[in-house]
Amino acid sequence: MINFQLNNSPVEVDIDPDTPLLWVVRDHFKLKGSKFGCGMGLCGACTMHVNGEAMSTCTLPISAVQGAAITSIEGLGTPDNLHPLQQAWVEHSVPQCGYCQSGQLMSASALLAKNPNPSDNDIEMSMNGNICRCGTYSKIKLAIKSGAEGMRTQGSMVETFDPADGNAISKEANS
Amino acid sequence: MKKTSMTRRLFLLSTGAAATGLIVGCSTAVAKGKGYSAIAGAFEPNSFIQITPDNKAIFYLPSSEMGQGILDGLTTLIAEELRVQPTAIDVRQASLHEDYKNPEMGMQATGGSNATRAQFLPLRQAAADTAAAIRNAAAKQLDQPLDKISLADGQVMVDGESYGFGDFVAVAALMPVPENSALRSPEQFDQIGRERPRLDALSKSTGTAEFGIDAEVENLYRAVVVRSPVLGAALESFDASAALKQSGVVDVVQIKSGVAVVAQSYWQARKAAAALELNWGKTELGSWSSDSIYKNFTDSLNDSSQKGLECCDEGEGDKLLDQSETVVAADYYAPYLAHATMEPLNCTVAVEGDSCKIYVGTQSVQVSAGAAVYYGDFDADKVKVHPAFLGGGFGRRSLGDDVAEAVAIAKQSGRNIQLVWSREDDMNNDFYRPAALVRMQAGVSKQGLIETWAVRRVGPNIMGHMVDAWLEVLAPDYLNKGFTDWLSKLGHPLFNRFIADASNGDGIYGDYDTPNKAVRHVTQDPGLRTGFWRSVGHSSNAFFKESFIDELAQSAAIDELQFRLANMKNNPRLIEATELVAAKAGWGKPLPEGHFHGLATHSSFGSAVAQIAEVSIEGTKIVVHKVTAAIHCGMVVNPGIVRDQVEGGIIFGLTAALHGEITLVDGVIQQSNFHNYPMLRMADAPEVEVHIVASQEHPEGVGEPGLPPLAPAVANAVFKASGQRLRDLPLRLS
Repeated sequence: MINFQLNNSPVEVDIDPDTPLLWVVRDHFKLKGSKFGCGMGLCGACTMHVNGEAMSTCTLPISAVQGAAITSIEGLGTPDNLHPLQQAWVEHSVPQCGYCQSGQLMSASALLAKNPNPSDNDIEMSMNGNICRCGTYSKIKLAIKSGAEGMRTQGSMVETFDPADGNAISKEANS
Repeated sequence: MKKTSMTRRLFLLSTGAAATGLIVGCSTAVAKGKGYSAIAGAFEPNSFIQITPDNKAIFYLPSSEMGQGILDGLTTLIAEELRVQPTAIDVRQASLHEDYKNPEMGMQATGGSNATRAQFLPLRQAAADTAAAIRNAAAKQLDQPLDKISLADGQVMVDGESYGFGDFVAVAALMPVPENSALRSPEQFDQIGRERPRLDALSKSTGTAEFGIDAEVENLYRAVVVRSPVLGAALESFDASAALKQSGVVDVVQIKSGVAVVAQSYWQARKAAAALELNWGKTELGSWSSDSIYKNFTDSLNDSSQKGLECCDEGEGDKLLDQSETVVAADYYAPYLAHATMEPLNCTVAVEGDSCKIYVGTQSVQVSAGAAVYYGDFDADKVKVHPAFLGGGFGRRSLGDDVAEAVAIAKQSGRNIQLVWSREDDMNNDFYRPAALVRMQAGVSKQGLIETWAVRRVGPNIMGHMVDAWLEVLAPDYLNKGFTDWLSKLGHPLFNRFIADASNGDGIYGDYDTPNKAVRHVTQDPGLRTGFWRSVGHSSNAFFKESFIDELAQSAAIDELQFRLANMKNNPRLIEATELVAAKAGWGKPLPEGHFHGLATHSSFGSAVAQIAEVSIEGTKIVVHKVTAAIHCGMVVNPGIVRDQVEGGIIFGLTAALHGEITLVDGVIQQSNFHNYPMLRMADAPEVEVHIVASQEHPEGVGEPGLPPLAPAVANAVFKASGQRLRDLPLRLS
């Protein structure tokens, strides 16, 4: 039995321990927003936050997330309660086919949680693991900058994690 | 534009499909069929629109949304004429019905960048007639003269009072639906041409958009298929005993393309698949490698006894070539390419008795349904396709091979299954953009005018492989399966020997004013299956044509922009796009140290696109800093989406220009995933600036035309920067 936090709720699952987190979240917990793209950690479509870090989950065995805090796109925001980055994504019409965008948003939100005012180079470094076949890169960059500005001016919830056990220890407005 | 749609129409005609009744008269918006589910009390004037008593406007989207923005575009057309906000319309993907056939293609499919062009008038007419019906009903119900009743923003306005559309649906349903109602004029447009966030942005930014791979049904098992390492080889024997012992595995079944493992989870199926032991037979493709294919093409190019098929013969053809002041000749090459959609192919099948439900992202509901009928042995009226968003299409999701495998597995294992291809499956079992080796020759006058244009092309066709993939699934189901299977193989000799596949000539001769033209194609096909890849023949032909035009200009010592403008006097759209891009990019003006401009201009799918790439060289690395583009695509529905599509075409084209190459060793594809078939990433993506030529002409293609000029624009800049004329794709400096 493996226990972890999924989008702030404790969950447990009894499954082959080498099953990648992506498939556990998609097919066991039926959260379909995170996508399968390559199975080798090369494209970023499956990106989630593991203790606040953006990670490819198509190669991350479920046994490795025992006790960890996992956030998928469903935990970032919802259509009725958008994360500022999602708001920026909609305003700038970032998605085309949209398949990679959950992963793009998870990488981008992990970046902004650490670096609220990233330079072009910071953005490129953080986003280079996420492929977009439709070619929305310039829009993504634009939306990250405008989302970052929105977060700096409006403030947003930032989660802090205990580095020892990965549990969320505080949630506070960052302004 | 018409060239591509003609190609696909030609396919249907030339395979005898027309004679067998395959082509049903293509219906327009006013057809009265039932292509939708009835909703109690709703007004259903046609197959595209329903208005419910509670004021909901539902639009059945006839085209597939694969990123190109057609959901947004076609909904905007409905909104314009129905007088409602686009955001207020409930958009649903249409399932199979003849009313949803693309009027240009004669089949229910999305491709060839024609969805807006082909449906611009029929869909607006459907919405305008619906609006007129609501007005008529309101006049009758309220006993008011018609001219006092107007529609605005989803409301019926009468004498300062406003009502919902739904208030009049009961009366409207009893009255005749008007036909040929007046359409709004461009001066009246308040939706068409307006820039606003695209309608599918919210669901695609929150992980709530449903793609094929997100389908869930009761008692769903997952399946993976192991296929031959050499495409098309037959399975001689297999041993599944080890695989069957693995955790979660419930079945192993043999299907046409290989062996499927069915398990409780994807991961269990994927792991067990590695334990299958399979023995494959030999196939002709197994005797070919990229080196031998290239040599075969070269021998064929140089063997003048191989005449090939005529793609174009105008004026004196190539007879006067030697009489021009200057004759230039050069050979170019473009490799096979994979589509690499972000969402690997997948298909979910739920079987209930003798009927089945198919959940899939598809460019053709019709092909998907046909594949279920043919490969799953279902009656046509027992198959229901539930179309989903496509995680990229680019031509790949038009073949039905995903559905063919999935229904066969579901049928044989007696379970509901979701088939998921791995990235490796996807890259090794594609229908590839065909490779081509081309000899370009031109005679140029002293004044710098092209007098003769001669092209000799060698490579595989697409249409033979399309007929092979499509004929069985599109043929009427009363035909004997053995007969349709036999018929499907005839596409190869037909297009290899008798009928030129129009895509081979697409865009390689049309843009310039040359009086004498000859284009011939010699088919050499090692047997690797080919298919439509974003912009099809234009994807390689624009590179050949536009690189060669620069060579002609340089041999005549004329500026490349001026040379083009002097030779495209009969191509007004391309002139406008070219002049606009030259002005915006500052052609001929100073650039930063070490930066160089390259220009390319190309018409495809009805639109004209000109691009200027700004490039520098770092060692042997080609760095593309900026691409400026101008497109003339007629009237624009949503300018943001037009710009995004052109930019997307540029990024897609740059991936191909710098990295794209599928190679074979003994028939085995050497690329498997993104480490050896790399995609352009953010850090290498250039700044892109797209300008739209203002126009009131009928809308034309947008999804594909941005791609073709990119590779030659970059290659032409590389020549300026390095002195190396790169004539093979992908572009590699030595």
